[in-house]
Amino acid sequence: MTVTERHVGPLLEIKGLKTHFFTQDGVVKAVDDVTFQISHGQTLGVVGESGCGKSVTSLSVMRLIDRPGRIVAGEVLLNGEDLLAKRDADMRDVRGDQVSMIFQEPMTSLNPVFTCGDQIAEAVQQHTAVSRREAWDRAIEMMRVVGIADAKRRAGEHPHQLSGGMRQRVMIAMALSTDPDLLIADEPTTALDVTIQAQILEVMRDLRTKNRMAIMLITHDLGVVAEMADEVVVMYAGKVVERADVRTVFGTPHHPYTKGLLLSIPRLDERVERLEVIKGTVPSPLNLPTGCLFKRRCPYRMRVCDTAPPYQEVGPGHFSRCWLTPAGEEPAVGADATGDEAEAAAEQLTVETR
Amino acid sequence: MVSDANAAEIERRRLEEAAADSAEIDRTPVRTYWQLVRQRFLKHRLAVIAVIVLIVLATYAIVVPTVTGDAWRETQLFRDDAPPELFNEDGDLTFAVLGYNEQGQNLFARLGKATQTSLTIGLAAVVLIVMIGVFIGSIAGYVGGWIDNLLMRFVDVMLSLPGLFIILMITAFFGQGNVWVVIIAIGLTGWTTAARLVRAEFLSLREVDYVQAARALGASPQRIILRHMLPPALAPIVVAATLGIADSVVVESALSFLGFGIGRDGASLGTMLQNAREYFFSGPLKVLYPGVVLILIVLSASFLGDGLRDALDPRQRVEK
Amino acid sequence: MASYILRRTLQAIPILFGVAIISFAIVQLAPGSPIDRFRSPNVRPETLENLIRLYGLDRPVYEQFVNWFSTFVQFWRTDAWGYSLVDGRSVRDTVVDRMPATLLLGGTALIITIILAVPIGILAAVRQYSWADKAITTFATIGYAIPSFLLGLYIAYIGTVVFRGAFPGFGMVSLPGVEGRGTPLDVAWHMVLPVTSLAIQQIAGWSRYVRAKMLEVLNQDYVRTAKAKGLSAAKVTYKHALRNALIPVITLFGLTLPGLLAGAVITESIFSWPGLGFLGLQAVTQRDYPLVLAFVMVGGFGVVLGNLLADVLYGVADPRIKY
Repeated sequence: MTVTERHVGPLLEIKGLKTHFFTQDGVVKAVDDVTFQISHGQTLGVVGESGCGKSVTSLSVMRLIDRPGRIVAGEVLLNGEDLLAKRDADMRDVRGDQVSMIFQEPMTSLNPVFTCGDQIAEAVQQHTAVSRREAWDRAIEMMRVVGIADAKRRAGEHPHQLSGGMRQRVMIAMALSTDPDLLIADEPTTALDVTIQAQILEVMRDLRTKNRMAIMLITHDLGVVAEMADEVVVMYAGKVVERADVRTVFGTPHHPYTKGLLLSIPRLDERVERLEVIKGTVPSPLNLPTGCLFKRRCPYRMRVCDTAPPYQEVGPGHFSRCWLTPAGEEPAVGADATGDEAEAAAEQLTVETR
Repeated sequence: MVSDANAAEIERRRLEEAAADSAEIDRTPVRTYWQLVRQRFLKHRLAVIAVIVLIVLATYAIVVPTVTGDAWRETQLFRDDAPPELFNEDGDLTFAVLGYNEQGQNLFARLGKATQTSLTIGLAAVVLIVMIGVFIGSIAGYVGGWIDNLLMRFVDVMLSLPGLFIILMITAFFGQGNVWVVIIAIGLTGWTTAARLVRAEFLSLREVDYVQAARALGASPQRIILRHMLPPALAPIVVAATLGIADSVVVESALSFLGFGIGRDGASLGTMLQNAREYFFSGPLKVLYPGVVLILIVLSASFLGDGLRDALDPRQRVEK
Repeated sequence: MASYILRRTLQAIPILFGVAIISFAIVQLAPGSPIDRFRSPNVRPETLENLIRLYGLDRPVYEQFVNWFSTFVQFWRTDAWGYSLVDGRSVRDTVVDRMPATLLLGGTALIITIILAVPIGILAAVRQYSWADKAITTFATIGYAIPSFLLGLYIAYIGTVVFRGAFPGFGMVSLPGVEGRGTPLDVAWHMVLPVTSLAIQQIAGWSRYVRAKMLEVLNQDYVRTAKAKGLSAAKVTYKHALRNALIPVITLFGLTLPGLLAGAVITESIFSWPGLGFLGLQAVTQRDYPLVLAFVMVGGFGVVLGNLLADVLYGVADPRIKY
């Protein structure tokens, strides 16, 4: 059980996080200077295409990055304490206790040789001083809470005897058994059918209300985000390109990428000849463009985009990494600005406390 | 924003720029399957070294016996255990850089002949193995049904036999000292792996999407088999054959070592080792030369096989 | 589970039958007759004919086979496997006599292998890319690639020539007259070289296998989940990963077991170890057909038994398998 005092300020603060992978073919900047926060009890949706760095961000928070990857810069403050500065042993105490994580593939995320109950009880025993009996009882209780029928019997079964949806519930039970402050859910419903997906999201909604738990929900599914998130962070090629509360992101998005994502969702109430797409593909991490990473695919592209754009506050609590003004017009410094002039303008427009 | 007409113009210009960027990036060169295979293979330093070593050994095996003629079996009793030399007293070039054995035979020449014998037998046996294996495997995989079942039971039986021992039996009973008997014996017992591989490939290839797609597009059976089914089926065969060479050479050597293969008069790596064993104390280095050659053959064939496997089907890689 | 074992046993019977047919066929096709050894100017033709009738060599082939096979399976009978053409002894008795020596050699090598190869493989996998891993992989590749008889030869060479007199080069016990002959220590001393030869080969193969399986498992999602729960590295490796990686290793154990029966023919030959393998070799040289057939059948039985054992062990170890 977590006994952290409710710290004043955000629960999780990620500041300038950089996680790079040093491969034979070059350095892949999977997460390049990412900053955002999550408050107690808040659900943050992290959206983006495959490879944009959202999973790596979450793994960085948990410090589960292995060779050839390494966290090279930044801070990850949980209740004010920097997780990146902790000793390994202390970090292990945090993992699974204050911060829990569930993954995308329920079919392979559970150990096939141990029973479901054992695996949940193991998490409990790792972080609380209880007997095996008590841990087992807690495991069954958690399985009931997540909606697994006949929990007692199921606890004694092995993962392969359960369906995909049930396994994901077991994962959630395992993650929540220690009453964490923050749950990181990496694409929890992507591998499941739509109907099961709805059920899982229901379970998560239920539990977050009951336990006042914050959720970092990583997904590429905008529908899930609309349903679950309070605030949204949009990532592209390792950077945060837009951040706002969920209504704003869906109603008045600023960044062209976000706009493109929303436009590409097919609508049932319109007749169209062709579906909208964002032209081009995500740049190879070994061959990133200079300046704005989205420029090659952006319909609003200007000369000034060859210089790295500012991270502006385009509305109250609404941030966007783009040269366009909050109204969507050419920047004050001019559409063709280059070099030092452009860099200075970017510097000026960028918001410090992001 | 600016006026509508201008906006459309600017819009179009920007889209063009963006498209130009994309086109530039997409202009990566396209390579054929075989070019990719060769590229991947060359990345394997060990496999490339292995090829070089094998070429060197093959050259040695071909050139030396041809040049030295009968020197490998010419016994010169007054030359027993003589030290290495390039020329003898008469001034003839003997090139006995490894000295002489207890019977006065030129070891260097003998080693060349031995390598030739062992490699030839190994290669011939592998050819037989591949022929039988592909034949049985393709029938089993293509036809399926009870024929497949029957053939696979047969394979099970073959695998339950003590392999080396059966080969010993065959060579001992049917013709000791006969090279062909050795080749056939190894071939008749070694085809099981190849058969299984071919069968597996054919079974899965029958159902694979691109074969179905080709059929849907109206491709003729010949085209399907030649262009779509054969290349992936060949890959494991080639790998198995390469590794099979190492195996066959070892088996032949073991046979000759035990006295069953080509007989004591013949020269193979096995007989040389047997000979060396008998003279452990007097000619200590004799045990080294044929052994080193044998190890080189086996290691090279293994690395070559690994390299080919990775080059032909990178999906199969288990570990980096 | 019991029904599975029964089913598999029934499946094994036709295989053994097939083995019997093939080995019998080879012997039958071999030029020459078993009674050739008795041909000499002193022997009268009638005696030879009597022998032919005695051995049933005048009956049609299939009848000979049926006779032989039906007697063979009654292994409790002394005469079940016939009599040696060389020394007239019951083949079955001879085989039983020589088996312990082979089992001793193979069993010791296997135990040493398990004790050494598993930790080595785990170490290499856990510390992948380290110098320890590279050293182990290199050793394993070379050890695996060296032909067994070459390895045996070199070990014999090192043990007897390089370290002159350190180890005996042949036999299971010292020659008559040597003090301490026949004691366990004497046997152990004689065992060192052949066991080393066998063990090195096996350790090379096993450690490669263990390493590969361990690496596979360490990359699985559930290992990541275990880490995310905050478990220590030791627990993740030895509780979650190893348990899964050992499953195929257990089946490897089951498969290696039969190798003990047929004997390491080559190794026993190099070191003149009086085991089953060496016996088989001599039988082939001497055209002692009953003994040869018995050897092949024992070997085949070992393989079939080993496969069955491997399957059963796998079912026991992996909860995903249902019988």
